[in-house]
Amino acid sequence: MKLALQNILHDRGRFSVTVLGVSFAVFLMVFQGSLLSGFLQAASRLIDASDSDIWITARGVQAFEFGTALESRVREMAAGVPGVTDTSRVCMAFAVYRTPVGKQQVVALVGADPGVGRRFPVPDRLESAGEMSPDAVLYDVSDRKQIDVNELPAEVEINRHRASIEREIRGYGAFLGVPFLFTSYRNAVRYMDSGPEQGMYILLRVDQSYSISQVQQNLKQRLPEVDVLTQDEFAHKSRMYWTIKTGAGGAILTAAVLGFLIGLVVVSQTIYANTMENIEEYATLKALGASQAFVARIVLSQALICGMIGSVLGLLAVIPSINYAKSLIPWIHAPWWLPGAMVVPSLAMCSLASIVSVRSALTVEPGRVFRA
Amino acid sequence: MPKLFLGIEEASVSFGQGEARVRALRDVSLTFEKGTLSLLMGPSGSGKTTLLSMLGCLLSPDKGTVFVDGEAVNELSEAGRTVIRQKKISFVFQAFRLFHSLSALDNVALGFEIRDAAASGREEMARDLLLQFGLADKLNLEPNELSPGEKQRVAIARALAGNPPILLADEPTASLDAEAGKNICKILRRQVDDQGRTVVVVSHDPRWEKFADRTITLCDGRVEEQVGVL
Repeated sequence: MKLALQNILHDRGRFSVTVLGVSFAVFLMVFQGSLLSGFLQAASRLIDASDSDIWITARGVQAFEFGTALESRVREMAAGVPGVTDTSRVCMAFAVYRTPVGKQQVVALVGADPGVGRRFPVPDRLESAGEMSPDAVLYDVSDRKQIDVNELPAEVEINRHRASIEREIRGYGAFLGVPFLFTSYRNAVRYMDSGPEQGMYILLRVDQSYSISQVQQNLKQRLPEVDVLTQDEFAHKSRMYWTIKTGAGGAILTAAVLGFLIGLVVVSQTIYANTMENIEEYATLKALGASQAFVARIVLSQALICGMIGSVLGLLAVIPSINYAKSLIPWIHAPWWLPGAMVVPSLAMCSLASIVSVRSALTVEPGRVFRA
Repeated sequence: MPKLFLGIEEASVSFGQGEARVRALRDVSLTFEKGTLSLLMGPSGSGKTTLLSMLGCLLSPDKGTVFVDGEAVNELSEAGRTVIRQKKISFVFQAFRLFHSLSALDNVALGFEIRDAAASGREEMARDLLLQFGLADKLNLEPNELSPGEKQRVAIARALAGNPPILLADEPTASLDAEAGKNICKILRRQVDDQGRTVVVVSHDPRWEKFADRTITLCDGRVEEQVGVL
């Protein structure tokens, strides 16, 4: 397949355009894929951080960020269902935050009982909890600028209540553009001015000897006025809300598809132009006895060579770009398999782009070799 | 009737339709014996190239039969004719038709690749052929760096890759100066004398007559005259 390689290298200008087109497509697909992956992860991060088996929410709650209050009896009734070993409460509400210098902004305040899960950012749960007060407030390092405190601990106000910001955490940055603040459940309800027995989410752990789905069914029967979801179901519901119902996921996917299509058009055009420029050579090949498969392989190889080189360049550009983007979009996330996996659609794109060219090369009459 | 090594029987070909119809060949029968060099001459439009295309399995007659190595090929599928070309026939063109992006060596090696030679030996065999044609110092040059005579020698080397028994040449000396043209005539003659190949040359160049075993003159799609031992 030396002819395939030499033909594309011989026209360096066209080769550069083709490789650039593929690189652009790969860049866009990987970047958008990372945005989508990070978006999906962020949309259910707090749900996934809990260790509970079942979440009870008010009827119709679509996502963690939009919970509403549950009656206190819900928790008591749930605790009485056979198989339920532990109940915890989580609440979330938007609150007005006032920095030490008097600057105000809206924050998403999350409060949780200590038993909610080892990874859930609650003061009592952190390894260095002993160095913090039980009602400490935590924020993510990526939101430092918005939280606007110079040193820790810092005295601030949340909904006109005094609060103490005591610790920076990682991995729970702003997802909606509004920074999260984390604190204990009792502290959070105090800031929210709601009753201490009220919960927004009741999280349940199920005894290992019981089936989670069976316990879920029992809870649904006993508590028909609320939604009873497994952790995975609620996480999925939350992700679907943010990606599909808000259209955000669609926008990200559209950009990725657009990248694919632009790459397809660019590669298709340049490979076709290259094939037509060398059409007499394909006629010669056929006259000399080259099979259809031989001819097709040359055109396809050209497309795949461009695809491989373009993919490598695209990946080389996108990986540092994603790392840089993390400083601006903390939730962007490129799974380890994504860059490699995007090589497959890019090669498929190049193969698809070469179809018209392969057809032209295959249909050229070998008899034209005798025309001067 | 015994099957011919290379030839056509009562072959007719026409192009176009209605008033624009041109009869390129009219009931022509010709045989080309193994190990001979035949020269096809005649004015433009006399049917020389059409005849060469039929012998090279690039064109099927409307009527009649084409034989290659004893096999009637005009009823074969396109894939079948491709296999015949791959195994038995090669071409030399007026415009050389070398692959512009490949070196002389790679052009000839490609000829071996098309004819399914083992990948490991292609380059060595290509080198040997080019050395035979005095191109030892031109192996790595691309076609645009070669003189017309050198290009045609590379093209002949490529045509001989895989050792096809039949060589069809269309005006192989038309683009060459006198000296280079004479050299090409000698090379093709040697293919007949030393290798026993069957060579058919289409040319307006009268120099070929003294290298050919037979000269066939076509006119208006018919054989006008045959001169020579066959």
